[in-house]
Amino acid sequence: MEKAKIGAYQLFVLILLFELGSAVLVPIAIEAKRDAWLAILLGMVGGILLFFVYYRLYRFYPKLVLTEYMEKLVGKILGKILSFGYILFFAYSAARVLRDFGEMLLTYAYVNTPLFIVNTLLILVIIYAIQKGIEVLARTGELFFILLYLLAITGFLLLIFSGLFDLKQLKPFLEDGWGVVLKVVASQTLYVPFGEAIVFAMIFPYLKDSKKIKIAGVSGILLSGINLALVMAINISVLGIDLASRSQFPLLSTVQSIQIAEFLERLDVFFMVSMVIGIFFKVSLYFYAAVSATTILFKIKEPSKLVYPMGLAILFMSITIANSYSEHIKEGLVVTTRFLHPFFLVVIPVILLGIAYLKNWGKKRKSQNGAKNTSVSQKG
Amino acid sequence: MKRNYLILTLHLILCLLLAGCWSKKELTDLAIISAMGLDLNAKGEYVSTLQVINPSNVAGGLQGGGGSKGPPVTVYTATGSNIIEVNQIASTKLPRRRYYAHTNLLVIGEELARKEGIGNILDAFERNPEFRMTAVLIIAQGAKASDLLKVMTPVDKIPANKIIKNLRFTEEQWGEFFTINLQNAIKDLTTTGKSTVITGFSVSGSPEQGKKLENIQDSDPETTIGATGLGIFKEGKLISWFEGKTARGTGWILHKLKNTGISFSWMDKEDAVVYQVIREQTKSIPKIKKGKPHITIEVKAEGNIMELRMPADLTDPLVLLKMEKEIEKSIQEELLLALEEAKKNKTDIFGFGEAFHQSYPKEWEKLKEEWHDVRFPELAVDVKVDAYIRRTGLRNNANELQ
Repeated sequence: MEKAKIGAYQLFVLILLFELGSAVLVPIAIEAKRDAWLAILLGMVGGILLFFVYYRLYRFYPKLVLTEYMEKLVGKILGKILSFGYILFFAYSAARVLRDFGEMLLTYAYVNTPLFIVNTLLILVIIYAIQKGIEVLARTGELFFILLYLLAITGFLLLIFSGLFDLKQLKPFLEDGWGVVLKVVASQTLYVPFGEAIVFAMIFPYLKDSKKIKIAGVSGILLSGINLALVMAINISVLGIDLASRSQFPLLSTVQSIQIAEFLERLDVFFMVSMVIGIFFKVSLYFYAAVSATTILFKIKEPSKLVYPMGLAILFMSITIANSYSEHIKEGLVVTTRFLHPFFLVVIPVILLGIAYLKNWGKKRKSQNGAKNTSVSQKG
Repeated sequence: MKRNYLILTLHLILCLLLAGCWSKKELTDLAIISAMGLDLNAKGEYVSTLQVINPSNVAGGLQGGGGSKGPPVTVYTATGSNIIEVNQIASTKLPRRRYYAHTNLLVIGEELARKEGIGNILDAFERNPEFRMTAVLIIAQGAKASDLLKVMTPVDKIPANKIIKNLRFTEEQWGEFFTINLQNAIKDLTTTGKSTVITGFSVSGSPEQGKKLENIQDSDPETTIGATGLGIFKEGKLISWFEGKTARGTGWILHKLKNTGISFSWMDKEDAVVYQVIREQTKSIPKIKKGKPHITIEVKAEGNIMELRMPADLTDPLVLLKMEKEIEKSIQEELLLALEEAKKNKTDIFGFGEAFHQSYPKEWEKLKEEWHDVRFPELAVDVKVDAYIRRTGLRNNANELQ
């Protein structure tokens, strides 16, 4: 673990950028059709509950990151195996998001450029940022957060002025009933992007003021959830359900339909810039989590030496995980959200929390009997 | 020292990446396509027509300088079995790289729209990132798209721009025809409860003469193009044309109309007064009455009296109220005309089906099966019009010959 300190506001910004990351670009929760926004909001509620699980675990061990207290909770051998699993999971997720970036650019703008070149360009920047550490990443986040919201607000105003909104397109509400919406929540929005906040379990101990984690985290998830739901509702009300669900990147199509006063049109660059910002932070945070878990597991003294090789591994993984965009997406929906996410984001943390409660319940009784206070915090 | 050299070389190598000329497209190597036309030939193959801008012949007209000796656009055609292929075959004739990012107009020949429909054609355009979904879609009424795109136009030198602006201003001022872009058309095509309407342009005069540059050197060009009809679609295929009051009635119901003049008879003189609509609001309210679908169309129009060819006391508010009744009657007539025609053609171009889908999703499940063929033609529709005369221009009463 490096010696770094970040503030609560910075954590909030990082969570927000991370959650918006790639989720704002792809047609998230579109299986719920016109109720996609509802599925996102419900997913957000679930995400906040999951966040409390990660937060409670952190409260038990305020000085340790996820992979460290894992060893304390489930024992050395199992803990090491699990934390190795988490390293792979973080690295794989980073590679997936990086692939999203490359696919997006190749589909839309750089048709003739090889995927390798595009991905290399981004991973080089990310490697540089990670080498500088979490503090630099957090400060960059503060800067880009403002830029991203300026773009988002301008884009939103332009959409309103161009008169493209047709809120009727969001009706009928709950056409296929609650079943479909809840299924989408359970199979998708709970994990992507909200449950993914588990990455921050690798960052919590860096916080200057640990009491503010709860408010920063919850408000970050809340704001990102509302933003995502809003974006999806806008996409559907501008494009209609058919176009929105057939678009590979619905937000791009929405932004492209803006036409104001003969000259304010073709604002695709709004989309491109926000995409690069969001994906940069999502890949960086996953990558950072992977690097820091590796340093801890293998007791490496200089984490910065790990950054280049792992960056290369992520780069190659991002290119080899799928042969086509369809395969990449299918893999994301079938393998990742069905097997990896429930396991790494829900099952393990909940089991860990259960064990932590049991262990500390015993300790609590001891300390009440006059034993010396342990490092375990007793307040939630 | 060694380290410094290494860093220097690294920086130099990175500079190569910064230049970003991977798939560069020089401006002088681009054939900027202003409009594209699609037709069907006798063998059932697609014929694509590309209207390419000649930059040197478009600019410089005002200074009186050289340049404008040749035509402002050149048209290339190619034949093939699918859209992408046709356009790539066109490259055998073009001296430059085809560039679609500025293609703002897509013209579809009437034959193609009638026989094959537009559903299958549009996919190639949706998929291509270079082509814009905001491009305007029109039908060449009674003509081939290639003929329409070859006509030289005065005032606006680039024919594609002339058509787009023509359409925009007639929509603003007359309301019979309106702009539909690719995105709107696809939205309508994929909605069960709504059929597409697309404006048709036709060529008047000989298309052969229209091709020539002399056509625009005349103050009264022999060959001109203009909006002439509203193409009515059913299941993606063109089935009929609406013209005149029927077309404007459609504009009313679809709430596309902005400004228009309504004439009505006064003191038994036909079309004696003209009422200029300056604002209008149309709502279609779906209801299920005794298990049967029912639509109420509410129109609210505001406007001024712009012409009076019979004596009338316009200072008297009671006269204005009487006139308002007349206006309401003639607006209602137009709406009913459009409704009747659409019902005759068995296609719901007004999106009533979609209104039921949105408000009565459960009932819609039963209605949607035979919506266009059975339900829509027997749909009960109420038309309520409220017209208001706000002002009467700079004069109150009409001049009277003494």
